[in-house]
Amino acid sequence: MKGKIITGLALLLFTVTGIQAQRTTSLKINEILVINNNNFVDEYGQRNPWIEIYNASPGTVNIAGCYLTNDLRQPKKYMVSKGDVNTLISPRQHALFWVDNLPSRGTFHVNFMLDSTKPNLIALFDSDGRTLIDSVTVPAGQRADVSYGLIEDGWTFKNLQEAQRTLPSYKNVTELWMYFDDYNNDGRYVTPSSNNKILDTNEKIENFKTNDKLGVGMTATAMGVVFIGLIALYFSFKLIGKTAIRMSHERAKSTGLTHEEAKDVAEQSGEIYAAIAMAIYEATELHDEEHTILTIKEKAKQYSPWSSKIYTLRQTPKLIR
Amino acid sequence: MDFLSFITDNLQTFFTYTGFSNVTTGHLIMIAIGIFFIYLAIAKEFEPMLLIPIGFGILIGNIPFKDAGLQLGIYEQGSVLNILYQGVTSGWYPPLIFLGIGAMTDFSALISNPKLMLIGAAAQFGIFGAYVLALMWGFEPNQAGAIGIIGGADGPTAIFLSSKLAPDLMGAVAISAYSYMALVPVIQPPVMRLLTNRKERLIRMKAPRVVSHTEKIIFPIIGLLLTCFLVPSGLPLLGMLFFGNLLKESGVTRRLAETARGPLIDTITILLGLTVGASTQATQFLTLNSIKIFGLGALSFIIATSAGVLFVKFFNLFLKNDNKINPLIGNAGVSAVPDSARISQVVGQEYDPSNYLLMHAMGPNVAGVIGSAVAAGILLGFLG
Repeated sequence: MKGKIITGLALLLFTVTGIQAQRTTSLKINEILVINNNNFVDEYGQRNPWIEIYNASPGTVNIAGCYLTNDLRQPKKYMVSKGDVNTLISPRQHALFWVDNLPSRGTFHVNFMLDSTKPNLIALFDSDGRTLIDSVTVPAGQRADVSYGLIEDGWTFKNLQEAQRTLPSYKNVTELWMYFDDYNNDGRYVTPSSNNKILDTNEKIENFKTNDKLGVGMTATAMGVVFIGLIALYFSFKLIGKTAIRMSHERAKSTGLTHEEAKDVAEQSGEIYAAIAMAIYEATELHDEEHTILTIKEKAKQYSPWSSKIYTLRQTPKLIR
Repeated sequence: MDFLSFITDNLQTFFTYTGFSNVTTGHLIMIAIGIFFIYLAIAKEFEPMLLIPIGFGILIGNIPFKDAGLQLGIYEQGSVLNILYQGVTSGWYPPLIFLGIGAMTDFSALISNPKLMLIGAAAQFGIFGAYVLALMWGFEPNQAGAIGIIGGADGPTAIFLSSKLAPDLMGAVAISAYSYMALVPVIQPPVMRLLTNRKERLIRMKAPRVVSHTEKIIFPIIGLLLTCFLVPSGLPLLGMLFFGNLLKESGVTRRLAETARGPLIDTITILLGLTVGASTQATQFLTLNSIKIFGLGALSFIIATSAGVLFVKFFNLFLKNDNKINPLIGNAGVSAVPDSARISQVVGQEYDPSNYLLMHAMGPNVAGVIGSAVAAGILLGFLG
């Protein structure tokens, strides 16, 4: 009983942890604009600093109840209000918060400001007000209409390291955060509520087009992986098969057979067993001559409420006086 | 007079909505192809479970009509056919088919003789041979991957991968894959005869040992862990395949296994076949690319069959005399369960009527299913 309770609790913990992974912990602070002179305008036609939050998970995440702050000592500074359908962030999509200290203007207007003359810490806390989901410090001296954002949406250092290994365009990139400027013409623009990197090609495919024109690399790699997978299965089942034969051998030996006889039994083919079974069947079940005795057995009627007529009929109405 | 002209006008308008007014040569060609598929299924019994729904789907998809926002066509959002087609475009029909395949497949032959798995791996050369050829014929790498998977001879895998890598080619890829799977009895035997000599065709293989219940239960668990740790992108297909097999082999979920291999797979096969067929509207389907895809599909089957047979011959060089493998089971590595295994049996019996290869051929056959799903996962990982 105790074991079952522990197993149940462990499963529950796993489930809860799994759900959490698909929830608010997948949110990332993605891009920030501190000085907004000629950039995006809010629904009131005003230009204010903004913070972009990105949902890095493959499922919809509700940011309602989470807290945004610019002071770690006050993690519950601005709670994203509950009951607003717009707080649901679709998979790999964004939500934009206006940092205008005007929370009366709606869910997406926070109650603090950013100061461009000093470093600005921005933190996102979970609904308990204690669990830090993500934080970033925007360096002091931000330029107007130049945003500070992750090199690609929701990336961590792990993503960057992987890209450095696999994608040629990231070979020399070392910083996770960078400045996005509409005037540089380098394909990196200020992108409120949109992807930080605008993709006009699939880099993986381009990579194959450039480096593996004939497809030989793909063939060699992929066939290698297919073979490795099936060779691993081969060795596993070779081992499991040997263990099964040995156990069968031991069982046969325990019935008093000699080593050689037991070995034969353990490695016998299905055909032989089928032949033995057929022989036994023929000897005991099949017969060429009929007994010519007719037996009449009374058919047993098993009672079951499922087939009982009384339960399937409406009861006769009774007149109550 | 006014009333008469009113009637005439209405009839003329009505006529513009009919198929007779909107028919094109392309529609007629596709309808002829659909009828040919139905003929092959009924008269020749080539994969009737697939070719009847696909053939009839082609007829449904190629009834010409005026696009008047009536939500009729398979590509019109919200239409009944479009809703049914979502199982293909979102890729959830193929994994459900794999669940059923898992629940009906007996992996005993493979477990008792695990070296047969390597034949299933070798036959995947068909996929990558076609990939190389498709690149040479001017396709993009992602399109080449979608086309190459035809060589896996596995319809659900082909649909799954092409819906992810090149959705615009999915109809042609699916039709090509299923057509060549139906034509396995025509394509494979000449290749098998060409690549083997009489002595090799007469090889008798050792009868497989009896596989214990525990081994059968362990197989889907180890199979899933090993293959999906290696290629996580194969998870939808391999996960469902091995899950279905565990339902079958556990012995305690008989009802679930029966549903998976019975009503569920039948329902999904009907929907999949019909909607894939209906997706081949002449305007979308009759293109030069489709013709190229058909050509590449045929070549991929030939390459896969050759690779399987040649691999067995190569493998035999390292095996002792009593452990040699009959190369006629090499063709079964291409998947196409169970038709290609049946071909091994038929061709083998032409040379020795008392040599039963079917059971041995089922080993590479099911290994081919695993191999093609792994290959699809790799292509998806690299090009998706």
